[in-house]
Amino acid sequence: MSDKPTILFVDDEERILRSLKMLFMGTFKVKTTTDGREAIEMLKQETVHVLVSDQRMPNMTGVEVLREARNVSPNTMRLLLTGYSDLAAIVGSVNEGEIFRYINKPWKSEEIKAIVEQAAQIAIQLGSASKSAPSKQVAAKIQAEPSISDEAEGLKILVLDEEPSTYEIIEELIKESKNIHWSKNVEDAFAHLSQETVAIVVSEVRIQDEDISAPLKTLKRYNPNILTLVLTSFQDTKSLIELINYGQVYRFLPKPIHKGLLEKSLRAAMQHYRAMQARPELLMRHVVEKPKEAESTAHRISDKVLGYLKKIRARRPDSSEAVH
Amino acid sequence: MKTADTIASLTLKIPSIKPTNTVNDVAQLFLTDDFKHLLSLPIVDKGTPVGLISRYDLNKVYLKMYGRELYGRQPITQLMTKAVSVEREQPIEAASQFITRNIRFPIMEDFVITENGQYVGVGIVLDLLKAMERRVLLRTKELSKAYQSLKESQAQLVQSEKMASLGQMVAGVAHEINTPLGYVRNNVEVTQNLFGQTKALLENYEQLVALLMAETMDEDALGEQLGLVSEMSEPFREEGLLDSMQDLFKDSLYGVDQISELVMNLKDFSRLDQARTDNVDINKCLDSALNIGKNVLKYKVTVKKLYGELPPLKCSPSQLNQVFLNLLTNAAQAIEDKGTIWIKTWADGGWVHVTIQDSGKGIAPEVIKKIFDPFFTTKPVGEGTGLGLSISYKIVEQHSGQIKVASEIGKGTKFLISLPLNPESVQKNPASTARLDSNEVTEPEAD
Ligand SMILES: Nc1ncnc2c1ncn2[C@@H]1O[C@H](COP(=O)(O)OP(=O)(O)OP(=O)(O)O)[C@@H](O)[C@H]1O
Ligand SMILES: [Mg+2]
Repeated sequence: MSDKPTILFVDDEERILRSLKMLFMGTFKVKTTTDGREAIEMLKQETVHVLVSDQRMPNMTGVEVLREARNVSPNTMRLLLTGYSDLAAIVGSVNEGEIFRYINKPWKSEEIKAIVEQAAQIAIQLGSASKSAPSKQVAAKIQAEPSISDEAEGLKILVLDEEPSTYEIIEELIKESKNIHWSKNVEDAFAHLSQETVAIVVSEVRIQDEDISAPLKTLKRYNPNILTLVLTSFQDTKSLIELINYGQVYRFLPKPIHKGLLEKSLRAAMQHYRAMQARPELLMRHVVEKPKEAESTAHRISDKVLGYLKKIRARRPDSSEAVH
Repeated sequence: MKTADTIASLTLKIPSIKPTNTVNDVAQLFLTDDFKHLLSLPIVDKGTPVGLISRYDLNKVYLKMYGRELYGRQPITQLMTKAVSVEREQPIEAASQFITRNIRFPIMEDFVITENGQYVGVGIVLDLLKAMERRVLLRTKELSKAYQSLKESQAQLVQSEKMASLGQMVAGVAHEINTPLGYVRNNVEVTQNLFGQTKALLENYEQLVALLMAETMDEDALGEQLGLVSEMSEPFREEGLLDSMQDLFKDSLYGVDQISELVMNLKDFSRLDQARTDNVDINKCLDSALNIGKNVLKYKVTVKKLYGELPPLKCSPSQLNQVFLNLLTNAAQAIEDKGTIWIKTWADGGWVHVTIQDSGKGIAPEVIKKIFDPFFTTKPVGEGTGLGLSISYKIVEQHSGQIKVASEIGKGTKFLISLPLNPESVQKNPASTARLDSNEVTEPEAD
């Protein structure tokens, strides 16, 4: 029995729990609870590969559960399963929960099965990898924090935004302006990405009044090493959820930009980028969902950008895709 | 500026008098047909107006004893008065202000119109008054048009607030529906799967029976089939699978009921017509508002219902539902962490009464006067439009009812709505049990 991976569901509606348990009983060791605090206790007690939480619950919200889970059990893959997509939940699930997928209720059983099984595979690999190399991240956290400009040492950042303020704030923070490239349009950004090894992309979702989430998603698919911070003032929740599932956005930053939040997010991204370099298996966490046939991104990406994307894929250090 | 808007439009091109003309000359002029309607004549020296001679002043001289003899041959400048002059480019409003301030009363002269200080003609005060009257009329029309469009845009705003709160409500209800929809769908898929297994098992079982009934028993085939059937039925025996299936069916039915209840209640809300219906049970309206607002209330509010027995009411249930939902939403928003909402209903003397009371933060006395004003809100932008209560007030008013409020900071707020059973013949105020005079908000009790 114990060779089955463990999955933990948190939802305040018991009928959801009973239903999911029946779906996964055959392939998983299924644990359920209606209480977020109890879920955290369970995570402390035993290895849980996948955690799936509802968002709106009486005592702890899903985002709170996921945030705590990140601390007590970093190797557990985190997913949100919710019928309510408000902006705060979406942004929180990314920025605080660093979730793998955002799934809407009602779900299709085949789809949720595929996603959860993929998550479990990643968690198992992460688990065995971290046993052989104890987490360096934890050790690093104990030391006093270096300044953000030290932290940025040698990391290249690309800013894609029409307004100058984003670039200006980052330049002020990092100081080393030769490592920061500012593009005002998509073509220029992707031309730059095809030539340079960029660590972090800070991008608006709307450029020249067009939604550029398609190229952003494809970028992550072609080069999962790059961490994307997405600035957004528009509140189309569906498109933000897709940016999570298909684009593995690292942080959402609401506009107007809050300097402190930007600094914190940049710092986290830099640390995570270095951690991924030290432990390549962490990359698996950022595997994106395969786009559906119907919404093939090709028609929303110009040929020029597509050309650059091919070059970007070729530049990847490990040219095979991480997990299939 | 158009000529019609300036003094130029009032210009009468009257030939002027020179300062050297005598009093007699001018008296003659006044008698001619051309000048019959004028009160005064302008005196102009080399293009520049120097004064006015009014018919009245002239007559005064002639009425004096020997007036004609004494003054007749004198230059007219002897009798002239200062002219009130305005430039022809002046707008009518400004000019009329200037003229009324400077002209003599009663009116016995006209005013002089100039262009760059040079004489061009005279204007008659009466014409000016007529022009002003026309303009005021025009202005009034414009004003009433502006007022009309303002009223329309206000109505649009009210409509858009309705749509906004409808949007909020739909989002909330969507969540409430998505949860049961989630497990019902999943249960169906799980059982469908299991049904496939059951069917296969049944087929193999039938084959087993066929093997058993065969005239010549094939022991090998029988053994194999027996093994297969027992293996296939394994999952049905373990972990109380069949019992669990029963639970899934029960849950699914429960979920479907939940969804249909929500949809039914939603129908009451979405009716945009305001048709009055007979036989409305206000207690049911409240339940339906509670059901729709569940999303806002569920996690922070304990609802205590103290419903009395109510006679059926003639009203517009979709509108009253909106009022109740507004009040419940406000109450929930006034509660910071967790709290209670009491809903009490009773009937007396031809009225139905509802109180909705919360244990929220209360309303300050200086604020409470304004809460029914349109656009008054203490909530952050994007959260409140400040129209909830003003619309509720209107709706209750349209039902010939009353809405009152009492509040105490830190303790809570209580709204009282009283609705007449017969809106057509409301004569007296609601009975004394529906008074809400003190600021004291005490916990209600059932009667
Ligand atoms: N139960 C209550 N407790 C405390 N304050 C209240 C309560 N009900 C109303 N108020 C006050 O009255 C104000 C006006 O209420 P109203 O319902 O008209 O608008 P709103 O709630 O601010 O916005 P909207 O209803 O459009 O979302 C509120 O902003 C709040 O300050
Ligand atoms: Mg309100």
